[in-house]
Amino acid sequence: MTSLTLSRPFALPLETTSSPVILRTQSISKAFGGQRVLDDVSVQLRRGEVVLLRGDNGSGKTTLLNVLSGNLEPDSGTIELSADGTEERFTFPRRWWKTLNPFDHFTPDRVAREGVGRTWQEIRLFSTMSLHDNIAVASSGQLGENPLLVLVKNSAVRKQENNNLAIAQDMLTQLGLGDRGAASGDRISLGQSKRVAISRAVRAGGQILFLDEPLAGLDGTGINQVLGMLEVLVRDQNITLIIVEHVFNIPLLLTWATTVWTLKRGRLEVQAPDDVQEEANSDIGTGLRSWITELGGPDGQINDQPIAGGAMLSTVIPSGRPRGKVVLEVRDLVVYRGNRLIIGHDHDGEIEGLSFSLREGEVSVLQAPNGWGKSTLLDAIAGLTPIRSGEIVLRGRSIKSMSPWARAGYGLTLLQSRNHEFPNLTVKEALHLTGHVALPDNLHRLLGRKMSDLSGGEKQKLAIYAALRTDQSRVRLFDEPLSMLDRVSIHELQRVFKPSAGEAFLIAVPGSPEILGVD
Amino acid sequence: MTYLSHLLIYLNIYVIVALGLNMIVGYCGRLTLSQAGYFAIGSYAYALASVAWHWGFLPSVALGAGLAAVLSMAISLPSWRLKGDFFVMVSLAVQIVILSAIYNWYRPEAPLGTLRNLTNGPAGISGVPKPDMFGIKFDTVGSLAILATVTAGVCLLLGALLLKSPWGRVLQALRDDELAAKGLGKNVRLFKLQAFAIACALLAVGGALYASYVSFIDPSVASLDQSVLMLCMVVIGGIGNFRGPLVGAFMLLAFPEVLRFLNIPIALAAEVRLMAYGLLLVVMMHFRPQGLCGSYRIE
Repeated sequence: MTSLTLSRPFALPLETTSSPVILRTQSISKAFGGQRVLDDVSVQLRRGEVVLLRGDNGSGKTTLLNVLSGNLEPDSGTIELSADGTEERFTFPRRWWKTLNPFDHFTPDRVAREGVGRTWQEIRLFSTMSLHDNIAVASSGQLGENPLLVLVKNSAVRKQENNNLAIAQDMLTQLGLGDRGAASGDRISLGQSKRVAISRAVRAGGQILFLDEPLAGLDGTGINQVLGMLEVLVRDQNITLIIVEHVFNIPLLLTWATTVWTLKRGRLEVQAPDDVQEEANSDIGTGLRSWITELGGPDGQINDQPIAGGAMLSTVIPSGRPRGKVVLEVRDLVVYRGNRLIIGHDHDGEIEGLSFSLREGEVSVLQAPNGWGKSTLLDAIAGLTPIRSGEIVLRGRSIKSMSPWARAGYGLTLLQSRNHEFPNLTVKEALHLTGHVALPDNLHRLLGRKMSDLSGGEKQKLAIYAALRTDQSRVRLFDEPLSMLDRVSIHELQRVFKPSAGEAFLIAVPGSPEILGVD
Repeated sequence: MTYLSHLLIYLNIYVIVALGLNMIVGYCGRLTLSQAGYFAIGSYAYALASVAWHWGFLPSVALGAGLAAVLSMAISLPSWRLKGDFFVMVSLAVQIVILSAIYNWYRPEAPLGTLRNLTNGPAGISGVPKPDMFGIKFDTVGSLAILATVTAGVCLLLGALLLKSPWGRVLQALRDDELAAKGLGKNVRLFKLQAFAIACALLAVGGALYASYVSFIDPSVASLDQSVLMLCMVVIGGIGNFRGPLVGAFMLLAFPEVLRFLNIPIALAAEVRLMAYGLLLVVMMHFRPQGLCGSYRIE
């Protein structure tokens, strides 16, 4: 992977630029159930600015994003928007007579029409629509969105629609997806989906884009492609970006961002990127590789096993004790999704079953690029995806004909990347369903809250502790457990990813050996 | 020939109904049970206007369609906030309100067409005249079949134009992911208002055609059975595209006709038919949830 060099769109400090302010908030506050999540937040945003929004789990990042993109009304404060050239001012709490007009609410569609776009962690492409339509639907000012005009001015509607589809095709071509226009939104890779989602927000007229973890889950190539695209948007179209990103990716953005917004317990501090560079680097060491190294302790060893397709299985071998017995063995595994071979191919794409083993007391980290099939592999081991051929042996017994629940009963636990929570239960109730979970002290404060009220990072931490519950499990599989977690939580997890004597862990993470510093 | 014309009339009515219902279920992603209510509004408006006020065919149909479009707000406004089970409950309540209104909005002593007697209650309205347009009287089964075919053809053409336009695409987008559609600046409330109004107007046009053909209507046209039957049509045919509901309309027309040849006693035929519909629904939900030709699965 060749590294991408990004140059800042502005000379710093920002006050010296003549770029106009297009978003200003004054004293924005928001509380949930008496807990103040945003506290007197006042910021301003200039056209072409690149802002990195960071903060620990539960610090209010998503709440701020939701407020500024119209998905949530603040309890008090003012938001002024002038991204589309006309100034709009929203004061909260809104006057009662303003609530009477159903078309004059502070809503995401209203804010989007003012030039504020957004992408989500879970991407949200329209899954039943083609990529063409996914982008074309975003076009603003479409005559064909008025049913009366569709009937009485059909030729004008069709002409404009053909033009919109041609623009969509151009945008897809620029993304390298020119020949995939007819594919549906759920048939492209994660990196491609993220770039289509950004293009869609731009096509909708977004002058300010809020991007929620645009690099999460991407390998080095995917990260370069997304960053390259964002740089072009800022440089050529003067688009303003507010980016929330995972702690591992923050150093990549700091060289480019013009401003850093740091949220701490609901209070927002505006900082210069250079001021937080050192702190960010020290947070994560040199990235995932150092995190893996630290898992093994000072004298631990790492055994790297390259796997076809650009993946690497790194096994952390603790020092000072003999290697444990093999507890899970995967032999010549081949898995298809539909007609597509996902798991079990060599470097030339020919069928060659995947084989590896996990030993007691060891943690293995599978790093693989997007689309490699990490989730498919873990699902296949857990019995959630059928295998074409090969053998899976757990504790000396073949489990390939066992049902998923029988495998769980025999000692297999899987934490899926998409957590399935119980939104209406409190944390305490949800944990009771899980079994005996040893929560650290700093999570006890969450016990009385509803699952749906938790931040993404808080849910992820609870899911990990639930997957580490005290039971008869011998092999625990974790699919992207580090996503959505802040630096404190990621360090904290180094302490809990310590399998007991009879256990083995397999952790799947996105990435490729080249960006992790492995030769 | 008369038998085939009769089937053709029913097929056309079902096609119009399925087309309208598909806009709500397949394009807005809202499962509803109030369709028979809007069908009945069209039937009763047509019957009332033509029998009591002696309006012509087109104004009577337009009255029903317009009334249904306005009253569609009873379900489109709740759809702004509700979906899933909650929306089904609201639509069921609307269905019951319409049925109750049809049963009870009458006084035996008041003449039909006055404010005190709009529906004739359980007795229904008889003697609904056959369509008469531009000096042509459609009083034979054959001529009515032609009228029904032309009407269905026009509805299909309008429906195709709308659903394949950017307007239809926005409906699909808000069905797939309402939040993402809002994030692109789409006023999803307005789109839902429009889609429900057009859909309910189409249901009412189907109802008016039905009333003009059978010449007699009573509250049973607004029953829940009818709503379920109409829903079966789109669920079995498939939703979310243009051809699914057409296939569904054909299937539900053909199905009882096939049963007719099995020599099932008349007393049992209706029950057997309902049981078969239920079985068909269960089988479809299990093996092909998107319907025979659909492109969207009901969650």
